[in-house]
Amino acid sequence: MTIEIKRALYNISALADLGQEITSEKDFSDKIQSVLYVIMGTFLANRGAIFWYEKDKGKIIPLARKGFDAKGAPKLRIRLGHVLPMKKNEPYSLVEGQGTAAFRRFRDGAVQTGAEIFVPLWVRDEFIGLIVLSNKFTSQPYSPEDFELLKVIANQIAITINHHMLFMDLSHQLEENRRLYEEMRRIYHDTIQAFAAAIDAKDVYTKNHSQRVAKYSVAIARELGWEESDVEGIYIAGFLHDVGKLIISNELLNKREALTDKELLELRRHPAISYRILSKIKFPWKNVVKMVKHHHERLDGTGYPGALMAEDLDEGVKILTLADSFDAMTSVRAYRDKMALLDALVEVKRCLDTQFDGKIVAAFCRVLEKEIKGDLPEPNILPHLDNDFDPSVITGLLEALIRELKD
Amino acid sequence: MKATNFKVVSRLAGDVAVVYPQGYLNNLAGESLVKECNSYLSRGVRKVVLNFSGTDFINSIGISLLLHIMEGLQEGGGTLCFTNLSKVHRDTFEMLGLTDHMLVFGDEDEAFRHLDAGSGT
Repeated sequence: MTIEIKRALYNISALADLGQEITSEKDFSDKIQSVLYVIMGTFLANRGAIFWYEKDKGKIIPLARKGFDAKGAPKLRIRLGHVLPMKKNEPYSLVEGQGTAAFRRFRDGAVQTGAEIFVPLWVRDEFIGLIVLSNKFTSQPYSPEDFELLKVIANQIAITINHHMLFMDLSHQLEENRRLYEEMRRIYHDTIQAFAAAIDAKDVYTKNHSQRVAKYSVAIARELGWEESDVEGIYIAGFLHDVGKLIISNELLNKREALTDKELLELRRHPAISYRILSKIKFPWKNVVKMVKHHHERLDGTGYPGALMAEDLDEGVKILTLADSFDAMTSVRAYRDKMALLDALVEVKRCLDTQFDGKIVAAFCRVLEKEIKGDLPEPNILPHLDNDFDPSVITGLLEALIRELKD
Repeated sequence: MKATNFKVVSRLAGDVAVVYPQGYLNNLAGESLVKECNSYLSRGVRKVVLNFSGTDFINSIGISLLLHIMEGLQEGGGTLCFTNLSKVHRDTFEMLGLTDHMLVFGDEDEAFRHLDAGSGT
């Protein structure tokens, strides 16, 4: 085999090495360092560097280098103006290069650092960076064949760097979009919470009621294995379920005496009013408006506003109904004192299948039991209840209910 | 890409460091070989024998790393001997014109005899 053939085989194997490195799943800086080693090993260069042109800052910065960063050695400083006149992706010999006096000054400085070959990297009309190589370890000159091979390598590296930088740009953009989305989401939640506080403020007895209903609903929905986006939807529905009360007079909402039939009818308008207000809003979550509209329906069809039967009610509606009723039971109202937890649970049990769905009640009991036992790191229900109950009695009742509902 | 766990073992025999690259010298793990040789240099050891009996494969990355070692020894006024090179590796180094700049021996004993004789690079 002639030396030319051996050399050609070595070059082919170097190109294969380059391909392997470029397509490897390595970290980008390791990949570029490996690519630099491939080039230096192919051309036997003592020193080498791969630079990237950071367009936003107008700077040419090193991605990988070897030998050019030695302590005390003259620094290799490259400006865009030095490189732009060179041909795209073609090796340029500093030793042989001519040019203006300014370029010759730059060239002499670069040669002092040991640089001998520049290969400007371009993708179409975009300058990407450059490869810099020193002379060869063997002191042989770069041959025309070397230059041809360097051109091929330069094209590959230009595309690799360009792809990576485009990907990084997209990643940054995605990250920024995510940050903006989170910020908007936070503002949205804050606005809804402020709105809910305004609703609850109308009735002195329902302070924080909307927040509690939201939290209880979230606890039940999570226990039922809902997707987090749906959980967020019921959280919002919980906050807004009584928005229609904004239209109901304060006198009626705070009336201590029993309501007349006419007043009851007026009060029962609030879910439909809530629906009318909220249906103008395009929520990013499913069924928010539907859950709000029907949170006073009952399984036996005696609820309002639609007098819907159990089979027409979605799980979300059933959850919101239980959360709303349970909070009403365990809170003071204008016309009655709050119920003890035990009594509220007994009442929930009594209303099974007429007002409350067994599957939802079972989930509620499970999550409450877990919270009492300290099994949940962030309880949603327990912090809002009076702590004057006997945990063993309550958990006994919850376990019995869970068993009963399982059978 | 051939990839095995590359590792470097070495020993000090008198004033000679004998370094054994083991595995494929074809990726960034090979930088540990450069570091090992440099660490002997920084401790004042000026004679290094690189025994390639445990190295089956050297690619362009490996060649680049060996150039760093050769240059480091040259600049530090040391002597670097290559031993136990396979025929393929020896042919490659020869084709690249590197053997004119290397001290290549069949085995460690030959390298030691050369170093004992006080020959430079």
